[in-house]
Amino acid sequence: MKILKIYIPVIALLSLAACKKSFLDTEDVTSATEQNFYKTQSDAYKALVGVYDGLQRTGSSGSGLAVVATEVMSDNAFGATGNADGFGFQMIDEFDKLRSPSDVDMFGDNWTVYYKAIYRANMLLSHLDNVDWKGNDNLRKAYEAETRFIRAYCYFDMVRVWGNIPLVTKPTTENLPQVNPDEVYKLIATDLKFAAANLPATGYAAQVPANFGRVTKWAAEALIGRVFLYYTGYYGKPDLVGVVSKTEALAGLEDVINNGGFGLVDEFAKLWPAASLNNYIGENNKETVFSIRYTYTSDWNGNVDGNHWMVMMGIRVQAIYPYGLGWGGATVNPKLWNAYNANDTRRNASIISIDGESLDFKNKKDQREYTGYYTKKYTPMADAAGVSLAEKMGGVSFMIGQFQDFVSIRYADVLLMAAELGSPNAQTYFDNVRKRAFGTNFVQIPVNQANIMNERRFEFAGEGIRYWDLLRQGITVAASTIAETTTVENGGVSTVKTISASKITETKGLSQIPYSQITLSNGTLKQNAGW
Amino acid sequence: MKSAKTIRFASMLLWGIFSLFLVSTNALAQTAKVSGTITNQRTSAPVPGATINVKNSTRYTVSDDSGKFSIEAAASDVLVITSIGYSPEEVNVGAGNLTVHLNESNNQMEDVVVIGYGVQKKKLVTGANLQVKGEDLQKQSTTNALQALQGQAPGVQITSSSGQPGDGFNVIIRGKGTIGNSGPLFVVDGVQGVNINSINPADIESIDVLKDAASAAIYGSQAANGVILVTTKTGKYTQKTQVSLDAFYGIQNSPKKAQLLNAKEYAIIMNEQAINSGKSPYFTNEEIDKLPVSTDWLDQMFVKNVPTQNYVLNVNGGNAGSMFSTSMGYTSQGGIVGGSDLSDYQRYTVKLNSEHKLYQDIVKLGQHLTVNNVNSHGIATGGQYSNSLRSAFSTTPFLPMYDSSGDFFRSDNLPWNPGKVGDPQWDNSVSNPYASMAYNSNSRNNTQNLFGDAYLLIEPIKGLKLRSSIGVNYWSNQGRSFRPVYHLSIFDKNDTSTVNQSMGSGRTFQFDNTLSYDFRVAKDHSFSVMAGTTAINTKGSGLSGSNWDLRVADLQHAYLDVAQNRAAESDHLSASGGPFEDALLSYFGRLQYNFQEKYLLNATFRADGSSKFAPDQRWGYFPSISAGWVASRERILQDITWLNFFKLRGSWGRVGNQSVPAYQFLAPISFSQASYIFGNTEGLNTPGAYPSRLANPKVKWETSEQTNIGFDATLIKRLNISFDYYIKKTKDWLITAPILATAGADAPLINGGDVQNKGFELALNYHNTIGKDLNYSIGANGSYNKNKIGNIPTNDHIIHGNTNVLFANSLEFYRAANGLPVGYFWGLKTAGIFQTVEEVNSYLSKTGKVIQPDAKPGDLRYMDLNGDGIIDNSDRTMIGNPNPDFIFGFNVSLDYKGFDFAVQASGVAGNELVKSWRGPGGRGNYTTEILDRWTGAGTSNKIPRVTEDGANWAQFSDLYIYNGSFLRINTITLGYDFSRLVKKNYLSRVRLYASVLNAFTFSKYFGMDPEVGHNEGFSTGVDVGYYPRPVTMLLGANIRF
Repeated sequence: MKILKIYIPVIALLSLAACKKSFLDTEDVTSATEQNFYKTQSDAYKALVGVYDGLQRTGSSGSGLAVVATEVMSDNAFGATGNADGFGFQMIDEFDKLRSPSDVDMFGDNWTVYYKAIYRANMLLSHLDNVDWKGNDNLRKAYEAETRFIRAYCYFDMVRVWGNIPLVTKPTTENLPQVNPDEVYKLIATDLKFAAANLPATGYAAQVPANFGRVTKWAAEALIGRVFLYYTGYYGKPDLVGVVSKTEALAGLEDVINNGGFGLVDEFAKLWPAASLNNYIGENNKETVFSIRYTYTSDWNGNVDGNHWMVMMGIRVQAIYPYGLGWGGATVNPKLWNAYNANDTRRNASIISIDGESLDFKNKKDQREYTGYYTKKYTPMADAAGVSLAEKMGGVSFMIGQFQDFVSIRYADVLLMAAELGSPNAQTYFDNVRKRAFGTNFVQIPVNQANIMNERRFEFAGEGIRYWDLLRQGITVAASTIAETTTVENGGVSTVKTISASKITETKGLSQIPYSQITLSNGTLKQNAGW
Repeated sequence: MKSAKTIRFASMLLWGIFSLFLVSTNALAQTAKVSGTITNQRTSAPVPGATINVKNSTRYTVSDDSGKFSIEAAASDVLVITSIGYSPEEVNVGAGNLTVHLNESNNQMEDVVVIGYGVQKKKLVTGANLQVKGEDLQKQSTTNALQALQGQAPGVQITSSSGQPGDGFNVIIRGKGTIGNSGPLFVVDGVQGVNINSINPADIESIDVLKDAASAAIYGSQAANGVILVTTKTGKYTQKTQVSLDAFYGIQNSPKKAQLLNAKEYAIIMNEQAINSGKSPYFTNEEIDKLPVSTDWLDQMFVKNVPTQNYVLNVNGGNAGSMFSTSMGYTSQGGIVGGSDLSDYQRYTVKLNSEHKLYQDIVKLGQHLTVNNVNSHGIATGGQYSNSLRSAFSTTPFLPMYDSSGDFFRSDNLPWNPGKVGDPQWDNSVSNPYASMAYNSNSRNNTQNLFGDAYLLIEPIKGLKLRSSIGVNYWSNQGRSFRPVYHLSIFDKNDTSTVNQSMGSGRTFQFDNTLSYDFRVAKDHSFSVMAGTTAINTKGSGLSGSNWDLRVADLQHAYLDVAQNRAAESDHLSASGGPFEDALLSYFGRLQYNFQEKYLLNATFRADGSSKFAPDQRWGYFPSISAGWVASRERILQDITWLNFFKLRGSWGRVGNQSVPAYQFLAPISFSQASYIFGNTEGLNTPGAYPSRLANPKVKWETSEQTNIGFDATLIKRLNISFDYYIKKTKDWLITAPILATAGADAPLINGGDVQNKGFELALNYHNTIGKDLNYSIGANGSYNKNKIGNIPTNDHIIHGNTNVLFANSLEFYRAANGLPVGYFWGLKTAGIFQTVEEVNSYLSKTGKVIQPDAKPGDLRYMDLNGDGIIDNSDRTMIGNPNPDFIFGFNVSLDYKGFDFAVQASGVAGNELVKSWRGPGGRGNYTTEILDRWTGAGTSNKIPRVTEDGANWAQFSDLYIYNGSFLRINTITLGYDFSRLVKKNYLSRVRLYASVLNAFTFSKYFGMDPEVGHNEGFSTGVDVGYYPRPVTMLLGANIRF
């Protein structure tokens, strides 16, 4: 009897633990999962914002591909950076692996952030059918159009930089080989055509300011023009992989010009904060066709919202009002400064001249490849006391808190592209761009391919466009234009700098595929020639 | 539903207990007064304070100062005599007037050790476990039990993550088994997951380490990295109340300080750098002779005579029906870097343990409870970007500490390199490292822990025990920090005061039930079987926020409510908070068998279910088996007089690891860090969402299998030997293996990769007496471990280490790869220094190509291992191993007529360290090592020439590698027991002692402390500015009433 009484609680104890199936089911209430997300319109909108964030993050780490590295690759700028830094940027500048053999992953982060952006887009696209759209078909189409635009935008960056990339159109963990670039361009072209066809034709003036930054029909049409010109130029093809003809590309650009409501800002300098200070026209101006938006709220805990690459191009570790300090990367090639006409207002708006502006720069000893010139269009800014404007605004650090947007497609570019594609108004478009640049000193010159390319060099210096403009004229042109032997100052000591044409032709102007990805793929990914 | 069941259960339990009270007690037998004397067998001295208990009764007494006692007992009764430090004796009462000689319990084999969910006689143990007594820990006079354990436990490598008080410890048992969490499971009085740092070492009765899988397998899925069982002090039934006070007070100072260049040496090196970089020198000889400032920044960082103290008052006692142990403790320790103002640790502890007989010896109710409160604050002791000490190594000695008005010197508004004769030269990016530390170390953290259990022990028939306990581990913490407005340099400044505040709390409930039965079959066959269940649930949440612009900008007012949040553009209040939860459900059983205590067998099995895995992967099964043969009990060996005890042991077992983040089997959608800015207002982000990580529904337990063979022996009654050989193989690592970027999201944890640790451990202990009064003992232990990775399941079979560790933008330098030890250092091998241009030009590849065409005399000659004529990553190889081959400890102790003296030492051998106190090039200061640099042909073949771009340091090579072996004299103690002089009968012990901790370190390492416990990813031994352990001189007292 006594024993029995004891066993009752024993059995109770054991059975308590034994029958609780739910005991091991816990739930993470702060995040959703793939299974229970992508259901409502609100979910879809959040995911769409995440896709934009993915696009914005493509500039957040790695070597600042969109502007910094492409300017360095072009004849606009040298690698530069600090005198005690590694030689990665020299490797990029000179297309020479031996300049920094250990830098096998110079573009490793870039490669990763681009595929992350594409994954976000692919995840949303593949879940669009799960969303309850409540009959709002236009909303679905608009979201799909914006997402596909961003996917195309990312692929266009990647296929230009690396040439040979795996094409991921659905989320997958497979070990995918690189594809023929035509397949990538086919996806880009169809995505952009979808975006152009399915986004509303709302002119600039009618756009809701709160939506500024969203992809528009005009952005899609303008990007088609850019892709068309690059693909047909670099690969020597008559049309864009059979998807977009020259006529269609031009028609899109003319549509932007005629119906987009855009215009040129009256003074060139007003487009750039450091060139115009209080006269800066603002980000949502009538010349911005598409921009990647940045703000100062980046922190060290994973919030990435700022322009992380701009600090690379600031004056080397010295704030000189109105310029903030930076790392002194991509010093401007004096060749570019000297090529400008003295009456061209774009020169002073685009380039900081240390001597020309009588800036008291004392840090030559720390600067590699000092030329006396820095980029002005994208440079960190400081107040008279040297305090970073980004930090004054509330940014955690000037390194990550730069808030200047990257204006990827300007209306001036649309005008010049339309002129290049043979618009009947080519001379007018061309003149309009030049009139703004020269003001009262304007003298008309005839519109032709050579003059357009030359004008593009001055108009878009420091905007990450020049290098692609060179490449689309053919490797030979690009190589001979970029190659040079000159003298720069490394830590204050005069040093010979050589960029040889053979390296550019050897690599076809393409960049190094990250070696870590090649080894991870067990050799499925192949390195580009020359790297 | 769940709660209803719990209530029903609880009422049943209460009813069950109550019913037991109804049973009546036995009648007493006829008794008479019996008296006797207790003496020490060896010295014949009387033994006061021994407990005399009549077996199977509640009657007891305690011997007086002359060892005499008297007690009511029948002639047929048996007396059980116990006293601390002696083996228990049983004597028949018989005619009475007894003299009992007690043997000092120096035979460890008679001791009882703690195993999982129970205890076992040490001589019957078949696994590889070890016990360290609380008194041996307390002898080390440390504020932390793990530090005291260092060098006392063979096979257990303990390193502090920094020398700052309150910082944690890395404990690695038998080599690193994983690149993930390699720490063991801590179980304090049966409660799992308690932070052992929150316990006062003086409260610890013993620490038991379960090293092999067979010993640890009873803890199944949590035991892959071993188990450490901590038992706190309890009272004893029928024990005289004993009050003890243990106290020490000491002062701490820095150990050997790193030697940095003074201003003159620095100026010379800067000049030489400039010349080697094609520039003219910065300073003339005249200027060098007149340098006005030469600051030794390490002198500024370290504070002298920083106090450390510890006081514990403990009361133990018990009568026939209850026993208890209560203690209160206070510990405080300041940090030697910055002193107590900047880094300090204070701990208050209260411990209440008791047990009560509710019904005879059949039903006992007991509890353990420890409550503590820890106040701490400190400096940053992490990697290069969060390390307050690091910049002191590289800051120019030209920079003064204070300006003319006595404020911290600011470099940001000074003229640049004025270059006038005698003027200091500096950069506006150079910041006063002391001031920077002072401004950035304004924090207060406060943690409360409460842990313990309530248990019910029922033994209805002899040998059958039911134990049921409810354990709790509750913690809560509050932290806040503040950054004032300051300007030191163009980078090191803060324009608006900021404040952070955080709070968190959590609890673990643990419900354990075990049923065990000890019985014999046919006298010679002893069995002990046990079955049990455990259910553990951990839950909690955290909250943190930050804001800026304090109304009153000081630490006292550093609360979110004081912030004014006046922002130029937008809101700066940020807040975040979230929960955590996990659960573990387990069933386990054990069978122990012995034949005449000669042949031993032990088998365990555990099944664990964890909430961290998908429902179909939840359950893991962990068996073990072990056997022993006490050969010395065989008749043929009993005649060998020098061999008193010999036991051969063998074991095999499987254990698991699940200490990974939860929900890896799901693909989460993250709502944080996914916003984008639309519209025209800077800072106004639109929240988004994105799929952040891939899912791995197949993720499951990491398992570790271990085979162990060993023996324990006692020779000539005085020498104890313990030896173990083991092979530990950990497989199905839970790792985040790199995945192809095209997958587009973060990698989930996968199971893959294995590592083998193979090694042996030896512990020797010898004790003897010289003459009548001089007792001594000598102990030595050592272990050898070899760590080797089997296979990593990625295409390149490598897990890459972090970049950006050694200096800004530094590349990868450690890895895990097939066939090599975990976290090995991966870099270029050098073969001396080019002495001449001819040497550069004649350093050719097979095809006749100059391998280092850009090199100049004085530069490092890198070995072209693959012979392709190019120095690149394919020439990188293993140039160092952070894992020691040997870890060892020694101790010597003597006592003579109340005097005692002890020395304890420990060390490691066969490992390498990486030191990186500055980035390559630039104008940072150097250590005096640079004085041996190359300055011309034949001057050095080891340290290359200096240049402004620091090219010789830009590549990770063996230039960064140092020998990490060291021997440290941890403790030297001399004490005397004044109770011999005082002779008050209420004072049983008045020992006063003096100790030196961290007295000497023998090492070839140039850094300040060779025991670099800072972890970098899965590697260790990386010194990026390591906070050294202090040298402590202290006085202490142990007083017992």
